[in-house]
Amino acid sequence: MNTKYIKQLGISAVMAMSVGFASSSHAEGMKVAIIAPSASNDLAFTQSIVDAVNVLKDEYKLEIAITDGTFVVDDAAAAIRAYAKQGYDVVIAHGSQYGGSLKEIAPDFPETAFTWGTSADTFGLPNVSSYEAKSNEGGYVMGVMAGAMTKSNVIGVVGPIEVGDAKLYVDGFVDGVEASNADAKVNVNYIGSFGDVALSAEAGKAHIANGADVMTGTAQMVVGAVGAARSENVAWFGTQANQTKLGKKIVVASQVYKWEVVLRTIFDDAKAGKLGGEMHEITLANGGLVMEFNDDYSLDADAKAAGEAAVAGIIAGDIKLGE
Amino acid sequence: MNSVSASIQSDRQPMLEMRGITKRFPGVIANDNVSFDVLPGEVHTLLGENGAGKSTLMKILYGLYQPDEGDVLINGEKVSLQSPSDAIDHRIGMIHQHFMLVSSLTVAENVALGLSSTRGPITDLKQVAKKIKSLSDRYGLHVDPDAYIWQLAVGERQRVEIIKALYRDVQLLVLDEPTAVLTPQEVDDFFVILREMTSDGRGLIFISHKMNEVMELSDRISVLRLGRLVGTTTPQETTREALAQMMVGREVDNTREERPATIGRTALSINRLSVGGDRGVDALIDFSLDVQQGEIVGLAGVSGNGQRELAEAISGLRPIKSGSISLFHDGNPKPIGGLGPKAVREAGLSFVPEERMRDGAIGEFSVADNMVLHNHHSTRFSRGGFLNFGEIHRHSQKLVDDFQVKTPSIDTPAKNLSGGNIQKMIIARELDSDPEVLIAAQPTRGVDIGAAEYIHARLVAARNAGTAILVISEDLDEVMLLADRIAVICQGRMMGVVDRIDASREQLGLMMAGVTD
Amino acid sequence: MSDVITTTVIVATIASGIRLATPFLLASLGEAIGQRSGVLNLGVDGVMLLGAFASYYVVLETESIWLGVMTGILTGLLMGLFYAIITVPLRAEQGVSGIGIYLFGLGMSDLLFQKLVGTPLPIDQFSEWHVPLLSDIPVVGEMFFQHTPMVYIAFLLVPIIAFIINRTTFGLSIRAVGESPESADSLGVSVPKVRFATIMAGNALAGLAGAALAIELGIFQQNLTNAMGFIAIALVYFGAWRAPGVMAGSLVFGMVGAIVLQAKTLGLIPRSASDIAAMAPAVITILALIIVANRFRQPAALTKPYVRGD
Repeated sequence: MNTKYIKQLGISAVMAMSVGFASSSHAEGMKVAIIAPSASNDLAFTQSIVDAVNVLKDEYKLEIAITDGTFVVDDAAAAIRAYAKQGYDVVIAHGSQYGGSLKEIAPDFPETAFTWGTSADTFGLPNVSSYEAKSNEGGYVMGVMAGAMTKSNVIGVVGPIEVGDAKLYVDGFVDGVEASNADAKVNVNYIGSFGDVALSAEAGKAHIANGADVMTGTAQMVVGAVGAARSENVAWFGTQANQTKLGKKIVVASQVYKWEVVLRTIFDDAKAGKLGGEMHEITLANGGLVMEFNDDYSLDADAKAAGEAAVAGIIAGDIKLGE
Repeated sequence: MNSVSASIQSDRQPMLEMRGITKRFPGVIANDNVSFDVLPGEVHTLLGENGAGKSTLMKILYGLYQPDEGDVLINGEKVSLQSPSDAIDHRIGMIHQHFMLVSSLTVAENVALGLSSTRGPITDLKQVAKKIKSLSDRYGLHVDPDAYIWQLAVGERQRVEIIKALYRDVQLLVLDEPTAVLTPQEVDDFFVILREMTSDGRGLIFISHKMNEVMELSDRISVLRLGRLVGTTTPQETTREALAQMMVGREVDNTREERPATIGRTALSINRLSVGGDRGVDALIDFSLDVQQGEIVGLAGVSGNGQRELAEAISGLRPIKSGSISLFHDGNPKPIGGLGPKAVREAGLSFVPEERMRDGAIGEFSVADNMVLHNHHSTRFSRGGFLNFGEIHRHSQKLVDDFQVKTPSIDTPAKNLSGGNIQKMIIARELDSDPEVLIAAQPTRGVDIGAAEYIHARLVAARNAGTAILVISEDLDEVMLLADRIAVICQGRMMGVVDRIDASREQLGLMMAGVTD
Repeated sequence: MSDVITTTVIVATIASGIRLATPFLLASLGEAIGQRSGVLNLGVDGVMLLGAFASYYVVLETESIWLGVMTGILTGLLMGLFYAIITVPLRAEQGVSGIGIYLFGLGMSDLLFQKLVGTPLPIDQFSEWHVPLLSDIPVVGEMFFQHTPMVYIAFLLVPIIAFIINRTTFGLSIRAVGESPESADSLGVSVPKVRFATIMAGNALAGLAGAALAIELGIFQQNLTNAMGFIAIALVYFGAWRAPGVMAGSLVFGMVGAIVLQAKTLGLIPRSASDIAAMAPAVITILALIIVANRFRQPAALTKPYVRGD
């Protein structure tokens, strides 16, 4: 990763200084800043946006600054404002909790394009766009495969809190299982935390103790549950990023977010002077959502076929998913 | 002045010699070229007022301070005492005024602390308990090795301290005001134990300001004043008056002008009062006492028997459980129990608290501010919430002059004053309002003799002017000097009231110990 | 209900509670030792994080779990040495310096992780060790005797630490120094030596707790402990500064967490109450703390630096 890296420990003043340091300007390209709640390499939510920006780095001659680990919304707000002041062209507030701050800050910087997600709300502001992932689509596809794979007919899901992207994904997954295997039971456990890795591991173990032989989960604490799956050799479906690295023997497939699909639109619009007003989505159809399979995992051919059929069905519009 | 030369000419070698000890603290010379020695088997008393340098000298002996100049010799050999463990290695022990006991540990654990065990790393408390038993039998120090310190009465705790010293086979023991917490009878028993220890050849350093005890127990007496050794003498060669003069540097009038009280009507009446304590046990039980206009009633008792709680209950700082406290206006009772400090003051009561720096004054505030702490909101000193500084200054300056409070100025923070002058400041404030009733708790504790004399005189003057005064004191000498009537408290109960004319130390001592006939 | 709550479920829940309790137990035993000598350490969580990362990194590089465990302990010892220097001879205010240690551990563990590792890679996890004979007992064996070694170590430390505190001369010195350092000093017990020892031992246990966590989970990520160290401090008060009490507190916390998880998994707690139920361990622990709190007194010299001769 050759990204300019800014670590901040929650002191806005220090951070504002480091932002200044990071933004020695280049003429041609664009200056893009990312503010995200967890670590840049969390193999989950934050990494998905960082990877996407890096994909576009050369194409758009991007100068990139990242402030990650801003669980505290006030710290994030300070960073958003600081980047806007520094003259960044596009400021990406990557977290649904940052909406309130953005709504206040964006009108002060009419020349800056702000985008944020995951959300459908642009507050009616001309310089704010938003983006969302139809994560229920990939959830559905993996649910279909999980339903086809399970022998115990028990499937476990570990979630954080039942909101936003997590809820969308889990609901899609449950629908997919139901569609492919009506006998299978899906135990869903929202553990009430985005950060408690130990609790997520125990939730995974509780699923396994109750007979689960296929599991999935979402949000950054999910690495604990993956660890439980790994030690008990239970199949795992990942989302938000390719999680194969967390368990070469157990990860079946991951739904990967290619935010570059929507970022490309946002960057092009910004260059053309259109700073916001629109809501963007990544879907299986527009290539923003991609199913990445783990080649080391010997997936049952029927299950894989069912999954691929589901992808095709969603893209073709034959399979309709509820919101 | 008496002879100030040591009169015991002995060919025995001193077990301890401190030669030319000087210790300076910023702005003060605590010890100025002090020399002091102890022979085997003798009690050598160190006498001096607060701040005379006794504690500093003893802390040097115990390795808590290092002297700037001078040497310490044990059995003729120069030693370096860098810490208490060095002192312990030289068989020096110290019983501090505030006991060095861990209250959450048992007697045996306190004794075993810091010693190696016969069982290696594991404690051998049974062995320790056995040895404690044999020591207590030998010296008459009865105490249960398995009891927790917090369960013990003060006298028992002191025995534990002595056992700690004997257990370590201490040859030289420093006793810092050891009798302050004892009844007169307990003091007698305590002296028997001390004599038993000296008969073994141990040397004792006795620190006290109680003249009769000093005269009774000492073989030699050394007097310190302002950090310097004034002289060394023996009880045979001196008198109490002469010693007091050595301590203070001038003559001391310790007699009281006999002037019968002109007793008026009852001003304060405490009736069957019960008050909760901090440890769950009631601190006052069914306690009754009346104080009349124009008399001083002294409340005697050993420390911790409910005096503090009584003072707090009267002054409105502590809720009462049952019974009543009343002040009288023109013969009409006004109950003040549970009213809170402000209402109690307004009802005509003034209060000199025991913890003067905690409850009586604010150290960071100036003398002037402290003088109006209780009534700064009165119309005299403030208007519409704004303080009238001119009036406050005039008033404070007058009080400072009247009560001889020694302070560089009335703007000096109170914490910079000596204990005696802080107390004079508080007394000035409290007497200024011409109170109907004054409660004075430990009015001269830790105060130098000169200030104590002055405070006593002002209290007697207030009494002569008709104020009803209750003096609560653990110093029996003070009570016997001041009071017209003496009440005794023990374990929260009233043991009885006697006229001072009829009172004897022995009788009062028995009452303080809870013995009733 | 009874067809849902089977013996298997009960066994799994209790075993889960014991696992959840383990890192708390290790950390709060360490904190209790320090507090018994009068030193508060609010930096436990930071030390846990550093211990967790250090052990994670060593296991990742060497594939030796036990080398990782030793590294976690060593990290704790070093942090303990540092904390002891600033709080004992330098007499820094313990509340603020503890928070400083926490922030240092939080930031430094993440920084090192980003620099040295980057993307989280899984490491070898502890494997279970079945206690001979005992693990064969039906039900009970499965609950208590089929755990990873760290669980046994943590619970064995309870009687060991209780013995050291209550039955050894060193333990006597610790208790005395925590209650009345001037008394201990007057008897020749070196207050600084005792406090250095307890702080370093306590921090070593915090480092071990971090190692236990990282190796149990087989992963590291930013803020892996999720403020466990602060809960461990609360559990010390809950446990009245005594090893068995601390164990009881850790078990209550772990068990309530496990029961809630299990009940959610089985659908006994409706999805709508899920977030509220997640607070149960903290709420129940606080309630228990209130009940226990007034019965015991904290070490009298807690947070007070000792200055000889004052």
